[in-house]
Amino acid sequence: MTRMSQYQPPVKDIVFLLEHVAGYPDIAGLPGFEHADLDTVVGILEECGNFMAKVVAPTNRAGDKEGARWKPDGSVVTPTGFKEAYKQYVDAGWGSVPLPEEFGGGGFPRTVGLIIQEMMMSANLGFSLCPLLTQGAIEALLHYGDDELKQRYLPKMVTGEWAGTMNLTEPQAGSDVGALTTRAVRQDDGTYAISGQKIFITFGDHDLSEQIVHLVLARIPGAPEGTRGISCFIVPKFLVNDDGSLGERNPVHTVSIEHKMGIHGAPTCVLSYEDATGYLIGEANLGMRIMFVMMNSARLSVGTQGLAVAELAYQQSLEYAKERRQGRAVGATEDSAIIDFPDVRRMLMTQKASIAALRSLMLLNASYVDHSMHEPEENARKRADEIAGLLTPICKSFGTDLGNELTSLALQIHGGMGYIEETGMAQHVRDVRIAAIYEGTNGIQAADLVGRKLGVRDGASVMEFLASMREIDAQLAEAGDQFASIRAELTKQLDALDQATAWMLRAGRADPNAVLAGSSPYLRMWGLCTGAWLLARAALAGQATGDAEVAETQLVLARFFAEQILPQCSGLLNSAIAGADDLFALGPAML
Amino acid sequence: MRIVVLVKQVPDTADVRRLDVNNGLLDRDAGEPIVDEINERALEVALRYKDEHKAAEVVVLSMGPENAIKSIRKALSMGADSGVHVVDESLAGADALLTSLAISRALEQTRFDLVIAGNESTDGNGGIVPAMLSERLGVPLLGFLANVEITEAQVSGERQGDDGTVNVHAGLPAIMTVTERFDYARFPNFKGIMTAKRKPVETVTLAELGLDAAEVSSLDRTEVISTAERPARAAGTKIEDDGNAAATLVEFLATNRLV
Amino acid sequence: MAHILVLAEISRHGHVADSARGLLALASRLGDPIAVVATREPLADDLIARLGSLGATQVYQAQSEQADTALVAPQVEALAAAVATLNPAAVLLSHSFDGREAAARLAVRTGSGVLVDAIDVRTEDGRIIASGSVYGGNYLVDSTTTGMPIITVRPGAIDESAPAASAQVISETVTVDAAKAGMIDSYNDAPEVSVRPELLGAKKVVSGGRGFGSKENFAMVEELADALGAAVGASRAAVDAGYSPQTTQVGQTGVSVSPDLYIALGISGAIQHRAGMQTAKTIVAINKDADAPIFDVADFGIVGDVFTIVPQLIETIKSRSA
Repeated sequence: MTRMSQYQPPVKDIVFLLEHVAGYPDIAGLPGFEHADLDTVVGILEECGNFMAKVVAPTNRAGDKEGARWKPDGSVVTPTGFKEAYKQYVDAGWGSVPLPEEFGGGGFPRTVGLIIQEMMMSANLGFSLCPLLTQGAIEALLHYGDDELKQRYLPKMVTGEWAGTMNLTEPQAGSDVGALTTRAVRQDDGTYAISGQKIFITFGDHDLSEQIVHLVLARIPGAPEGTRGISCFIVPKFLVNDDGSLGERNPVHTVSIEHKMGIHGAPTCVLSYEDATGYLIGEANLGMRIMFVMMNSARLSVGTQGLAVAELAYQQSLEYAKERRQGRAVGATEDSAIIDFPDVRRMLMTQKASIAALRSLMLLNASYVDHSMHEPEENARKRADEIAGLLTPICKSFGTDLGNELTSLALQIHGGMGYIEETGMAQHVRDVRIAAIYEGTNGIQAADLVGRKLGVRDGASVMEFLASMREIDAQLAEAGDQFASIRAELTKQLDALDQATAWMLRAGRADPNAVLAGSSPYLRMWGLCTGAWLLARAALAGQATGDAEVAETQLVLARFFAEQILPQCSGLLNSAIAGADDLFALGPAML
Repeated sequence: MRIVVLVKQVPDTADVRRLDVNNGLLDRDAGEPIVDEINERALEVALRYKDEHKAAEVVVLSMGPENAIKSIRKALSMGADSGVHVVDESLAGADALLTSLAISRALEQTRFDLVIAGNESTDGNGGIVPAMLSERLGVPLLGFLANVEITEAQVSGERQGDDGTVNVHAGLPAIMTVTERFDYARFPNFKGIMTAKRKPVETVTLAELGLDAAEVSSLDRTEVISTAERPARAAGTKIEDDGNAAATLVEFLATNRLV
Repeated sequence: MAHILVLAEISRHGHVADSARGLLALASRLGDPIAVVATREPLADDLIARLGSLGATQVYQAQSEQADTALVAPQVEALAAAVATLNPAAVLLSHSFDGREAAARLAVRTGSGVLVDAIDVRTEDGRIIASGSVYGGNYLVDSTTTGMPIITVRPGAIDESAPAASAQVISETVTVDAAKAGMIDSYNDAPEVSVRPELLGAKKVVSGGRGFGSKENFAMVEELADALGAAVGASRAAVDAGYSPQTTQVGQTGVSVSPDLYIALGISGAIQHRAGMQTAKTIVAINKDADAPIFDVADFGIVGDVFTIVPQLIETIKSRSA
């Protein structure tokens, strides 16, 4: 009788941050979101959370224990309960909430969609990948597909009746997508014959939906070398007849599935395309641009995976800490629950404050995505797009790095039991590990931050954002003594971040290697500062609610984060600006 | 066919529920208020009938404080067509006699062919309001059903009995109550939540139901005269099974004359 | 002495329901116990004698053509007629399926307050007071009502018996408005006549949880129950999984029990389950999970495997009684 993992959707926490930190009322005020007022959103999130907890979460253990299975006939079977849960998910329509009404979606902001994703990821990370990949494919089609492709594929993908995948990686082309060799040969009827092998294809095959729509990167013979010669195709598992019904099986076969460290419920497939019929999305050689549409969105979602698993693990560790009695705390006369021990409290507070910081960061990023698409003024859209672009690698890397660290803390609280599979903690640690790797490793995110995002408008974009973070200083000063330590620490650490940023902008031109060498610690400085900044905003908002309990909770979280976690930022300054010399001082043979 | 489903908002049984020991009434601040699960099963019966008979209309009726509107909205998002909310300050702490009077008036105004209720609530456990309604409205009651068949003219099903079950039927209009033998309710879906916002909910007070203070105060009224919290149970002996635990337990039972 | 009416439920096979004993015992505490029965044919002598032996000084037999075909309505008519004739100080019924519906409908007729699910009844300063336990036994609540109270009594809550009496019969005829009543078509008797005690009111209960993993394994719960002469209970999870019938469900939405001994096997003890059993005098729990909440309320807990311990228990108990 192991205790079942009882995921409790933290809807109240989420809604507070959504309203007060991500500025949701402003999003609801954008044209096209008249139906998406905060009250409606809260109602949706409550029911959606209930659904995720009651329908999806119960499949999480089976997903890990059984895992997806490949059968000798080439088909892939998902773990017990996935199929039923997925059907209910489609019936409930949760996947369609943030998608355009034109194709049957709910037309809600991306921000709301991200929260739905968070709750589904907490409920079952492996399961959540199927809708996540589908959404990526939908976004690529929405942006670049022609009307015929959209009409043919989108409505059923929006409902979730059809699932989607993203096919990038090949054995020799991982982080370096430009090395891919899958060929697309144009046929007389305008379609393409796709041939090649793709690996690491999440939900590349499964039994959840009747149809799977693969988005495949391939090279048309004669195309330019590298990333500039890549095109993007739709390759459906079954060809679609003119009346929309499913026709012939397209020759795309599952050669095998991987045995992975975690997310066992999600089949990771090796797919073999053997002259499969494909349809070009957009124009030839636009593949990388299309992929970036999908990837920017997916990177924010993957960052949220770190948050989501950390939340689930936190809930379980908190429960455990309240119930587990062991030894006596100082001053206790009988055995104490371990929550009474300071070091356990330290771990719990670290989790709670960091989770709040991460959630604020994810929601802020999503809100800028919404502004970037729906602001009436072009300048406002552009600026929002810049900020979303800046925050995306931070969310992905910081979110999944902390996701790993916090989940590990949650396991630590369980003591030896945490290391036993029965408690489920080991699953979370294994599951969340991949999030720091896929969708662009965290190192690649750091390189994106220093290589692409810092350079936007010659550094002006990032400097403006840093300056806007400073605006909170006056509010903190006004808010009284309780906020003094937060204010002081934030100022100090933003100084360090400014210093590192100035160095990056300066050094970047002369010595790209030096900038890359410090990119990961530099990205973490960003994560720490933005997290603390947003928690300070939450604390100010908490005070303004007039609700003593909310005010106290938000203040303590912001103060704890500012005083005890944020100071790591200046500690990272040296490694951020140290340059590459010592990294390369020992040759490969001496390492 | 017009089906009215009675819905009661109760504290979640998964939370610690408290009574206010001063007045013996529910402490509404303790425990998240939710739709009592048995009412959701009742609603599911109505919705399944509606799935098959598109012309059927499902009305949810709830008596409760302001925030009971939440439960009505939830039922609407699951598929009910409209709601009636009986809310009046003088109904706070109403006993079954008064509750049934108010609801029966609301049902008369709302009109119905079939009323579906839960057999008993998880906070009162009385299970008497539906029978009171049947008496007040002069319509038959099929209570404690384990299953049901609804036609245009009648309702029939298997009623739980103390030894076995009883096959029963009644002509419409009628009232029926469901037990846990009925299926769990469907989840509200996204589209349902969005359309629920546009569905009508009528709020009615006692005066609007034609009940005046004199009539209300003329009813015999039950009252709680004392409330005592049972002392929490303390954990006793706990042993790890070392192979002899069964023998130790039997000794314990023998010492306490339980075997 | 004040008249106290008791609705005596008669099974369709002509037996006085078990609840009559406790109801008449309570009635004799409050006044002069009168059993009210709705019947098609005049009651047999042995049935009247049986009600007398349980303490009824009078039996009010209300004859109705529909007594076997109309649902609960004949009992309501019988009680209403008896109330009109005898002007009782209180009416007691079982908190059974039929009992509470009859209580509710009578209350509307007479305009009386209903005190439900009482576990005890007493007179204090001329008022009749019912005690109940609410929220899963977390609270004990005394309540009363203005006017004549109608009280439903939790089955199995009353141990005592009234002194035997020689019952006088009052006969009356009542009519039922069939249009306002549900109609009985036929009966489905409980499938097996079990020698096991009824769960409601049982002195000992052995309950099993989902931990048993299958209906076949759940038989072990029944075997231990039989060895102890106990009733069988189950957690909602075990019922949902189909290991045990719904009638055995103990908890918030199932049966509430207050036995002398409650043994929980492989039950974690969710708050809803505890709500149905925590008023037991002695609780024993066996569970693999040392942190299961059931141990917080157990007088005797064993952290261990039910599949190992239960067979040993059965053997040890059998060898004691042999």
